[in-house]
Amino acid sequence: MAHVVKHITVVPSYKDFVDIVLSKTQRKTPTVIHKHYKISRIRDFYMRKVKFTQQTFHDKLSLIISEFPIVANLHPFYATLMNVLYNTDHYKLALGGINKARQLIDDCAKDHVKLLKYGDSLYRCKCLKRAALGRMVTIMKGQAKNLLYLEEIRQHINRLPTIDPNTRTLLITGFPNVGKSSFINKISRADVEVQPYAFTTKSLYVGHTDYKYLRWQVIDTPGILDHAIEERNSIEMQAVAALIHIRAVVLYIVDISEQCGHTLEEQLALYRNIKPSFSNRPIVIVINKIDVVKPDELPEDKKKVIEEFQAEGEPVLEMSTLTENGVMAVKTEACEKLLAFRVNQKMKSNKVAGVANRLHVAMPKKRDNKERPPCIPEKVMKRKNAMDVDQPTRKLEKEIEQEMGDDYILDLRKTWLLANNDERYDVLPEIWQGKNVADFIDPDIMKKLEELEKEEEARDKAHYYSMSESEEDEDTQEMRKTARKIREKRQLITLESREKRRVEKSRMPRPTKRSRSVAQLEDDLSSMGVEIPTDSDSHYVRAKTRSSSRPPLKKARDSSEAGRSRSQSRPPRDQSGLRDKTMVSKVKKIAKKAQKPRNHQAKKGEGDRVILNMKPKHLFSGKRKSGKTDRR
Amino acid sequence: MPQNEYIELHTKRHGRRLDYEEKKRKKEGRMPHAMAEKAKKLRGIRAKLYNKKRHAEKIQMKKTIKMHEEKKTKQKAEDRDSKYGNPTYLLERENQIRAKVLSNTIKQKRKEKAGKWDVPLPKVKGVSEAEVFKVVKSGKTKRKAWKRMVTKATFVGDNFTRKPAKFERFIRPMGLRFKKANVTHPELKASFFLPILGVKKNPSSAMYTSLGVITKGTVIEVNISELGLVTSAGKVVWGKYAQVTNNPENDGCINAVLLV
Repeated sequence: MAHVVKHITVVPSYKDFVDIVLSKTQRKTPTVIHKHYKISRIRDFYMRKVKFTQQTFHDKLSLIISEFPIVANLHPFYATLMNVLYNTDHYKLALGGINKARQLIDDCAKDHVKLLKYGDSLYRCKCLKRAALGRMVTIMKGQAKNLLYLEEIRQHINRLPTIDPNTRTLLITGFPNVGKSSFINKISRADVEVQPYAFTTKSLYVGHTDYKYLRWQVIDTPGILDHAIEERNSIEMQAVAALIHIRAVVLYIVDISEQCGHTLEEQLALYRNIKPSFSNRPIVIVINKIDVVKPDELPEDKKKVIEEFQAEGEPVLEMSTLTENGVMAVKTEACEKLLAFRVNQKMKSNKVAGVANRLHVAMPKKRDNKERPPCIPEKVMKRKNAMDVDQPTRKLEKEIEQEMGDDYILDLRKTWLLANNDERYDVLPEIWQGKNVADFIDPDIMKKLEELEKEEEARDKAHYYSMSESEEDEDTQEMRKTARKIREKRQLITLESREKRRVEKSRMPRPTKRSRSVAQLEDDLSSMGVEIPTDSDSHYVRAKTRSSSRPPLKKARDSSEAGRSRSQSRPPRDQSGLRDKTMVSKVKKIAKKAQKPRNHQAKKGEGDRVILNMKPKHLFSGKRKSGKTDRR
Repeated sequence: MPQNEYIELHTKRHGRRLDYEEKKRKKEGRMPHAMAEKAKKLRGIRAKLYNKKRHAEKIQMKKTIKMHEEKKTKQKAEDRDSKYGNPTYLLERENQIRAKVLSNTIKQKRKEKAGKWDVPLPKVKGVSEAEVFKVVKSGKTKRKAWKRMVTKATFVGDNFTRKPAKFERFIRPMGLRFKKANVTHPELKASFFLPILGVKKNPSSAMYTSLGVITKGTVIEVNISELGLVTSAGKVVWGKYAQVTNNPENDGCINAVLLV
């Protein structure tokens, strides 16, 4: 049922429920209050607790109500199934009870919050809070049984098989113990218990199988007995629910051996009894257990019953789930029948008309009987043939190793190419007659070297190395020149614009004291073991300034020719952080405008908070007749 | 695919693990240790809840043990066979009765005794005016303090209309007005949610009675026509008195016992 009903959260028992909610209140609301606090604060503190508890209860109950499926909204099959399994009336009552409890809790919280507004002491507020929470818990206590019931239902719903009522389905039915479950086990991956007694299967089981690359759902139902619908128990009713509501091919299984305890006549009667419930659906009658009794070996009167089955107008097939004889034939027949039926139904529906006139399946006719094999060029064919010669591939060392196992020894010499193959395994000396053998591996190595050197010389003579790699004509050179110019120009432009747009930040002043000193240097060097000569020849001693006094800096004067003598590193404060002149003027304008209302109050700026007259006479003398205390 | 009772089916087919029973028994044996450990580790509200639960469990356990013991213990019965006492050959054979029967009768007696009372709350603590009335200051400068607001639960009749604010000395706030009370019938041992008809007497003060203030011990008149009690003359009893047993302003409801 998982695809019909989304995940349902666990419904806690009454005790857990209350514990969860109350401990949540304790955790999520403030916990410290003292009686000397302002009364409004105390009231708020307790009101918050009451409201929070109510909200938590409300949310939790709402979750339960919303998550459990509404029977009216379900597919009729599931609605019936739920009614059979859980009794819809009881189910509705339980959910209704929860709903009522939610409402009562809300009302209770409302009442107590109202009373809390009149609380005049911490004690009284606390008592009221306690009463409120107690009442809520008592209301929940009334729902203890409903909660238990719903939790049971939740667990059961989770275990219901996922039956899709609308897909291609094979529905297996028949008396108990006729071999329904063994059939589903044979044709699908389902693993239904099979036992030699009636009502082994107590609920619906689902398996899936493939036919024609399509997925088929197989439903195994509990056996049904031949009696009136009022007398059927809940196990049988599940089967009936499936029979009535699922559009499927119905496989009615008949036990020919009568081992199930019901005669063939009874089985025929049951078939006729339940047939109206799956009218206008394809039916296949399957005769099972032919390994026990062959249809030909039946006594005459039984044969007649079989004939009557055949006279029903539905296909009658034979199979044996024990020997798997005819099982696949039954499946194929059933699937084919249902496919044809479904296509037929679709054709009847008015939806098809819109699509059918646009559909055309091309069925090309054969033009002639000429052979038209694929054309492969001769060359390609040749190469292809050459490629897959039937040469035995060389055995790899790895394969040999795997073959031999522990006895394997790596032998590289066997593939050596020598003039005389017998010498392969001869022992190679390293030193021979006082000379290193390795030096004489190649007898004409010196000759080769000479040759190489000669080649090199020849190349050098032909200016092979000095030659530039690419010779360019004048046009290209010209082009390169202009390109370079363009690049330079562009770089200049970008630099210029960057300079224009630069925001002049106020820079950090350089530290006046330099961190380097002769003393420090001396220390550092001496720690490394270098002695510094202290005589005047060394450069470590500060040189004497040549002039005893420096000429004074000229004062900035507008009229002086030298101009400003001050360093220009820092911009004036009213221009600091501004891009250009237009921006400066704009900022000035804005500042002036902002100053306007302050000017009205005769204030210098936003920092000016002076109150000139703390006690204006007119506000502190005479009768208070018209106006307010602070404005008259 | 797991469907229906797949867990049971699996145990049925393959059985349980070989050490299942052993493990289960051991786990059960370790339970007290685990619980003790838990009780030690818990702090705060959880500890409080857990200890309360354990306490109740332990009491229940002790009670059941005691009950079982009571069932087993046998006592001597009095020799009432003859006024001379039993003959010597019967001395060893004492009649025995079960103690449980005795204890049951005692319990029954206690119950009966507990049911006999006149007024449920014979002694009522007085309620001072300072507690009942909150001074409401009025006037432009809040200098006048002749108004009072009742801070306890009150009963106000249906046809009450407030006086103009200028003349209204006692304010009975809407939030504290009650119309119904939970009334217990002491003999029926059942409680009903009945409408209040009026305040008969507030023992603290006559003024409270006239104002309809309901405090603990107040006698109120309730409408018991719902219960269908009949007088000796055959008339349906309509109103009856009941005494309030709780502090309504603290509990948010009125609990009362019917005076019969």
